[in-house]
Amino acid sequence: MLSFSARHTDSFVERTWRRLTESLVIVVALAWAAVAAAAPVHTPHVEAELLAERTALVPGEPLTVALRLRMAPGWHVYWQNPGDSGVPTTIAWDLPAGITAGPIQWPAPRALPAGPLINYGYEGEVLHLVELAVPASLAAVGTQTLRARVDWLVCKEACIPESVELGLTLPAAASAEANPASATTIAATRRALPRALAGWQASAAGQGTSITLRLAPPTGAGDPGTLRFFPFAERQIEASAPQTLARAGNTYLLTLPVASDLAGPLPRLSGVLTASGTLGEAITAATLDLPLAGHVVPGARPDLATTTPVGTDPPPARADLTLWLAALSALVGGLLLNLMPCVFPVLSIKVLGFATHHDRPSTLHKEAFAYATGVVLTFVALGLALLALRAAGEQLGWGFQLQSPVVVTALAALFFVLALNLSGVFEFGQFAPASLIGLSARRRSLDAFAAGVLAVVVASPCTAPFMGAALGFALAGSAWVTLLVFAALGIGMALPYVLLACFPGWRQHLPRPGAWLGRFKQLLAYPLYATVIWLVWVLGAQTDNDSVVRLLLALLGIGFALWAWRILREGGTRLWAAAIAVALLGVALVAWPLLTGSHEVRVNTPKGTGTAATSDSEWEAFTPTRLAELSGAGRTVFVDFTAAWCVTCQVNKRLVLNDGEIRSAFAHKQVALLRADWTRRDSAITQALTALGRSGVPVYVLYRPGREPLLLPEVLQRQTVLAALAPL
Amino acid sequence: MSTRMATIGLVLAILAGTASAQAPGAAAPTFTINDTAGKPIALADFKGKYVVLEWTNPECPFVQKHYVSKNMQGLQKEWSERGVVWLSINSTNANHSEFKTGPEVANWMRAQGSAQKATLLDSSSATGRAYAAKTTPQMFVIDPAGTVIYNGAIDDKRSTNPADVKGASNYVRAALSEALAGKPVTVASTSPYGCSVKY
Repeated sequence: MLSFSARHTDSFVERTWRRLTESLVIVVALAWAAVAAAAPVHTPHVEAELLAERTALVPGEPLTVALRLRMAPGWHVYWQNPGDSGVPTTIAWDLPAGITAGPIQWPAPRALPAGPLINYGYEGEVLHLVELAVPASLAAVGTQTLRARVDWLVCKEACIPESVELGLTLPAAASAEANPASATTIAATRRALPRALAGWQASAAGQGTSITLRLAPPTGAGDPGTLRFFPFAERQIEASAPQTLARAGNTYLLTLPVASDLAGPLPRLSGVLTASGTLGEAITAATLDLPLAGHVVPGARPDLATTTPVGTDPPPARADLTLWLAALSALVGGLLLNLMPCVFPVLSIKVLGFATHHDRPSTLHKEAFAYATGVVLTFVALGLALLALRAAGEQLGWGFQLQSPVVVTALAALFFVLALNLSGVFEFGQFAPASLIGLSARRRSLDAFAAGVLAVVVASPCTAPFMGAALGFALAGSAWVTLLVFAALGIGMALPYVLLACFPGWRQHLPRPGAWLGRFKQLLAYPLYATVIWLVWVLGAQTDNDSVVRLLLALLGIGFALWAWRILREGGTRLWAAAIAVALLGVALVAWPLLTGSHEVRVNTPKGTGTAATSDSEWEAFTPTRLAELSGAGRTVFVDFTAAWCVTCQVNKRLVLNDGEIRSAFAHKQVALLRADWTRRDSAITQALTALGRSGVPVYVLYRPGREPLLLPEVLQRQTVLAALAPL
Repeated sequence: MSTRMATIGLVLAILAGTASAQAPGAAAPTFTINDTAGKPIALADFKGKYVVLEWTNPECPFVQKHYVSKNMQGLQKEWSERGVVWLSINSTNANHSEFKTGPEVANWMRAQGSAQKATLLDSSSATGRAYAAKTTPQMFVIDPAGTVIYNGAIDDKRSTNPADVKGASNYVRAALSEALAGKPVTVASTSPYGCSVKY
């Protein structure tokens, strides 16, 4: 029809002229056909028609008609409040005498990104219902034609205003039936219309530049999932700024950013609340009209730097992972966890242990099952702990456990004990309490279970490839999704061990035990000692020199106590026993300040004082404001989301980010470098991660002006980074 | 807990500090952008004068409405004669399908008989973002002290129909008339309407 493909050969004036006349041509060409046949009218991007719910106009009875718009893929029309740009669809009726039309009954809109801006509107197909009042005086004979001039703005990258004349001819009769062609869709549209939120207790309070919507569900309500509020009027809520959802006990708190161009005093908050989950039986959208307590002032200028604004679109829209794909990623991630430096030394000993067993298969199977149970249950317990803390309002993600100095201290002690064990300072078996040594087989199952728990604990400092995306998905979903993904991680981690137990043939490929095994064990102690050094460094980054010294003294005490224990078991003399008792007392005195000492976590200041943040001069500390400034100045920004306790992060930093070629590539392309140091708790960073669909580090992102943020893989390769920088 | 609250407070304070940089009463963000001929133009060059910023995009039907009806050119001429500096800014990103090069935009403006001081190519979109410009057209009026005194729509008729210009109440003319007469601007902020700025 209209040769859009030839546009680049046309002059501006020609093109402009044609665009303006285009809609007029359509109006003239299609108006008559439409009125006569009531067939859908087609414009280049929209199919439009009027539908009636019933087969006739009945005097004195209202009739619902629908304006059905079907947009070409990727194109959208607007809601009553169009958001950052656009125009709502309008219907100007030309109706037979006496018939009057009510307002458009707007379906719940969606948030549609246009670059960094957000529009409120509809993609695909939408029905706008209008109720016609038919007077009792209408003669119930003949036919009547309903005419409407409909104007809309349809946009994708470009925006095109279109205008059509639609008509619908209906008989006027004493009675009517449901119109088989449209009654069902109209009824379904009506059911889905947002209505006053029922059963929930809702209130709104202004707090300066934000408004908090408190939403308490009725008992037994389902999970609402992600919530979003759409104000009926413009210049109240900033469309492109994030709305954040938190949960305090049983109440949902949705924080809304006040518009930077706030229209004036805001005595009430009125609009539509949408939920990715449920707001009641088969209800996903409801209207709210609440008095606004507190006061509001114009909010921050929206950050138009990021193409996917933080938290704007509910996770379903960014669900590039399905539940099963997330579970599969978690499974693979769990599998790879076995190879990470914190786990490998411990588990390789366990696996090599197989080679020495000449047990019946049933014993091995039981043991493998107990081990797998230990692993999976511990992962599920971690998931539950994370859910509970997030429900209490904490901004946490994967790795949260390592943001606590107490946990880091405990892990350092644990790795030290394991390393001493591999070095041969003492044997583990000697620790098993006598009560556990009942039936031999049962004890071995308990041991295996404990080994499973231990494996997860030692794995907790690590994030394996594939885990990041899966965990991000898990934490954005419901509690069940979170637990399913955590369980999948556990199953993946336990899998190699279980397979080796179930397929005796595979075990034959394991190396035979021999004298080398003892030396190999001793060798594997060294990665563990290295892990201890790293944890001490993490603690130093989190707290201070005193805490580090206390931890080192505690390690000294532990080492000495274990050695002493062995001496006693091997039958030391009384003199030895007395000396050891005195020494242990000394250790206890040293350990005391460790337990009572302050473990207050230093909190990241916006300037960032963390070790990971300031060690390299070309890196600046990440803050959302700084990112916005740099992007606002048209700079490309690379953000390294990292933490001192994240091994993968440190490896990537040393091997890739600090590499000379990479550094000169960054400099040459004038990429601004920001480092988001998540060593300590930092809700701004947690939110930035959430916006990227992640819940843990490492995450590497390239923010390019006017384009989608580019996520690089968790295990960085120099080539990947160079390839990402090349087109800049 | 108290440290966490302190952090939140600090973050809020910083956010509040950057708030409403483009709102009426706020200082207009400075910029230096090349015009369609590649000559750098700075807002600072016009200190002491009233400046109008017009966000534009020749491909946008709302912009076309105001040029086809000669409304925009009329305003440009009317106020330039009274010493107001009129700058048209195109913030369409260089990667967007509606992006135009300097000569292309200049040709289009010439064909329209436009009368602005300069048309600026903000192809990195940085200035558009600094002003948080959302639509084309979107209008800003800056007073001689560098303060934004109007931000919003060109008029009160949200449409693409050139015929609607007649009978519309023009906010830019109202703001400039009041300001040049030494009066405070009555309507200092409105909802801009149009296409989204193609960031």
